[in-house]
Amino acid sequence: MDGWIGKVLRVNLSTDKVSTEALDPGLAKDYIGARGLGTKIMTDEVDPKVDPLSPENKLIFMPGPLTGTFAPSAGRYTVVTKGALTGAIASANSGGTWGPALKFAGYDAVIIEGAAPKPVYLWIKNAKVEIRDASHLWGKDVPETSDAIRAETDDDAKIACIGPAGENRVLFACIMNDLHRAAGRSGVGAVMGSKNLKAIAVVGTGAVTCADPKAFESAVVKARDKIHKHPVGGTGLRLYGTDVLTNILNQIGGYPTKNYQDGHFPTADKLGGETLAATLLQRPKGCFSCIISCGRVTKVTNPKYAGEGEGPEYETSWGFGGDCCIDDLDAVTKANYLCNEYGMDAISMAVTVACAMELYEMGLITKEDTGGIALEWGNAEAMVEVTRLTGIGEGFGKKLALGSYRLAESCGHPELSMTVKKQEIPAYDARAVQGIGLNFATANCGAAHVRGYTIAPEVLGNPVKVDKDTIEGKPALVILFQNLTAALDATGACLFTTFGIGADELAEMLGAVTGVGYTSEDFMKCGDRIWNLERQWNLNAGLTANDDTLPPRLLKEPIKTGASKGRLSRLPEMLPEYYELRGWDKNGVPTASKLGELGLTA
Amino acid sequence: MMVQYFALLRDVTGKKEEDWRQPEATLGDLLHALVAKYGRAFERWVLKDGDLWNLVIILVNGRDVRHLQRLATPLAPTDTVVIFPPVGGG
Amino acid sequence: MASMLMINADKCTGCHNCELACSMGHEGVFRPSATRVHVYTWEREGFSVPMMCQHCRDAPCITVCTPHALTRDPVTGWVNLDNGKCIGCKMCVQACPFGNAVWDEETVKILKCDNCGGDPACAKVCPTHALEWVDDVTATRARKRAFSEKFKHAFSE
Repeated sequence: MDGWIGKVLRVNLSTDKVSTEALDPGLAKDYIGARGLGTKIMTDEVDPKVDPLSPENKLIFMPGPLTGTFAPSAGRYTVVTKGALTGAIASANSGGTWGPALKFAGYDAVIIEGAAPKPVYLWIKNAKVEIRDASHLWGKDVPETSDAIRAETDDDAKIACIGPAGENRVLFACIMNDLHRAAGRSGVGAVMGSKNLKAIAVVGTGAVTCADPKAFESAVVKARDKIHKHPVGGTGLRLYGTDVLTNILNQIGGYPTKNYQDGHFPTADKLGGETLAATLLQRPKGCFSCIISCGRVTKVTNPKYAGEGEGPEYETSWGFGGDCCIDDLDAVTKANYLCNEYGMDAISMAVTVACAMELYEMGLITKEDTGGIALEWGNAEAMVEVTRLTGIGEGFGKKLALGSYRLAESCGHPELSMTVKKQEIPAYDARAVQGIGLNFATANCGAAHVRGYTIAPEVLGNPVKVDKDTIEGKPALVILFQNLTAALDATGACLFTTFGIGADELAEMLGAVTGVGYTSEDFMKCGDRIWNLERQWNLNAGLTANDDTLPPRLLKEPIKTGASKGRLSRLPEMLPEYYELRGWDKNGVPTASKLGELGLTA
Repeated sequence: MMVQYFALLRDVTGKKEEDWRQPEATLGDLLHALVAKYGRAFERWVLKDGDLWNLVIILVNGRDVRHLQRLATPLAPTDTVVIFPPVGGG
Repeated sequence: MASMLMINADKCTGCHNCELACSMGHEGVFRPSATRVHVYTWEREGFSVPMMCQHCRDAPCITVCTPHALTRDPVTGWVNLDNGKCIGCKMCVQACPFGNAVWDEETVKILKCDNCGGDPACAKVCPTHALEWVDDVTATRARKRAFSEKFKHAFSE
């Protein structure tokens, strides 16, 4: 096969069985790869009702057909599983260079089944696959683990691993690769920890082939040029990183502050991308085949929060920053490093801390609970300390490890957890931007901004500007973005390529590299198919339309200050039209005719 | 009126904000005055073919001018104008 | 007046686009282990450096090559490799002080940068100009100017 390798690696950690099988070309065509094909495998092989942390859950690492080629910014892979945090389908997307390494080793996916009786890691060098003892690695953080594994395998090995957080089953633990990149959300790291799998190390010396090199190169050159000429994809992200969004969101009044009690933070500029570039930034960084280079290599020299690594991204800067009423960028960056070192999703960690701060303010969490830490709004030291405790699984960190929903529920106030489907909501206030709120409520993996990033049209104006405060046409807009993104994710491309290109260019590149003809319509239909498959999974797992909602605060408490003062989310007015346009019934269940249109069965 | 600059425009103008004392009837008047002061380096991030670049985010008192009257948006001396060149996303 | 591939490591983002362009251009597939330019990344510090044959004037690889597979081009001054004459002794791998002669076990041959005949694919694809095809005498002009500006700032009080 071209683009695809044509081979899937299956490892059962309960039986130590390692096997390979052919990739089904029909499934590859319909689901493309990564998030799409991973979800199809989960649908075919895993009962949606399994306990995510049980051996019956599976953990799939899957790049896409563009991964490993020079399609611009297309070196990604997805981890697909049942989310430990959410109980819903999880598909955590990551960049770096690990995904391409798996392709060069000769695999389209690694499917991890069962659970090892003791800690192990997987060592893959081309056709040679070994399950090795990892007891000497258990407890090590992500950088230590990577160094140790390279010392006993290969200097060039690419490593995806968990830190102590995944081992301790922090419900929002993530999987890190290339030290600083995360398959972040939904607790995929906890699933890996539950399987006693510490890491997957890969060396690949093989090739990804191309069906029509001339057509592919021509399509790639055009795509690169469009991204390069786009001010965001070509210049802005490299200069300022995603954190440039801080001031934009704050100025439109949609920067959630104080656990979403407000939408504006007066000193947000101290946390923004401009400040980051002027102070902590060392140089930009790019993932495999990337031409955008949004990565931030940073260093904090302030002895109180000293460290180095990558980040913070906008979500992290916001979460540990304004959401906790903190404006100390050094502290925020330190918390970001801790999340990378211990392997935790920064969004969920930060929003859980903010929730805990509100519960502390109300007296529902006390100094006795926190072990003496004054978890007050704006207390940067406290924020960093409780993050560290969560990473190493000590003290109050053990409570935070459950995520904000279970924490708030244990205090009798689940409504103070700013989550959807138990997953923490990212850095955009749904009261200030209507469409993104609808996306948060309906994203299959739980609240997630990247699943349907309508901030691009609603705030930035890319590709066109729509009014953030209206609801007319928003359901259709959200669906369009959700479908396009699902198909894009399945190719292995990065979402930021959409600052420059769209379905046309992606379909053209995909078709040229695989030799399978994809029109733009086919491409979008793949996205629709993947979305509906995820939806079906969730319904079979026990989720319902009741889970397509937002916390009461966003529906009933107006924003207090800033440019979007007085606003609420109008989700209830948009949701029925969303279901209808999706081809679902009033309960959000795909109709037989919709399923038939996509080649799915009930 | 208060004019605030973000991202690249901070480097171009050398400031984060300035108190613009000259009265400007519309946003277009203000932008042309700023272009006169800061030159082509400012203009290329804000205007395209003489019109407002569709990717520029300009807020007048927190409201996006692309939903007001774009360059014809009227301005008052007490307004706050915020200008983001098209650099952000993610 | 000759051209060279200038390495501006401070601009390298570690994207490996150069490797992909090189392997696709020369081998027809995407295979970073079969490239003539190799990017080395220090993961913790986030610093990356692309490396390729420097076409040395006094090339140790030419000195040790007994079948004269490696020769100096009289016109361009580059070190050329004729894989047809190569006996696979790997003496050039041993001799190159930079490690830029690479043995590929899959295709069973030496891989060495050939400047793509004067239009290097890596420099064309590099998104940040970490690799540039420039005149060798004036290659460092931009770097010199950037650094001398620091003197200018220091002395203009």
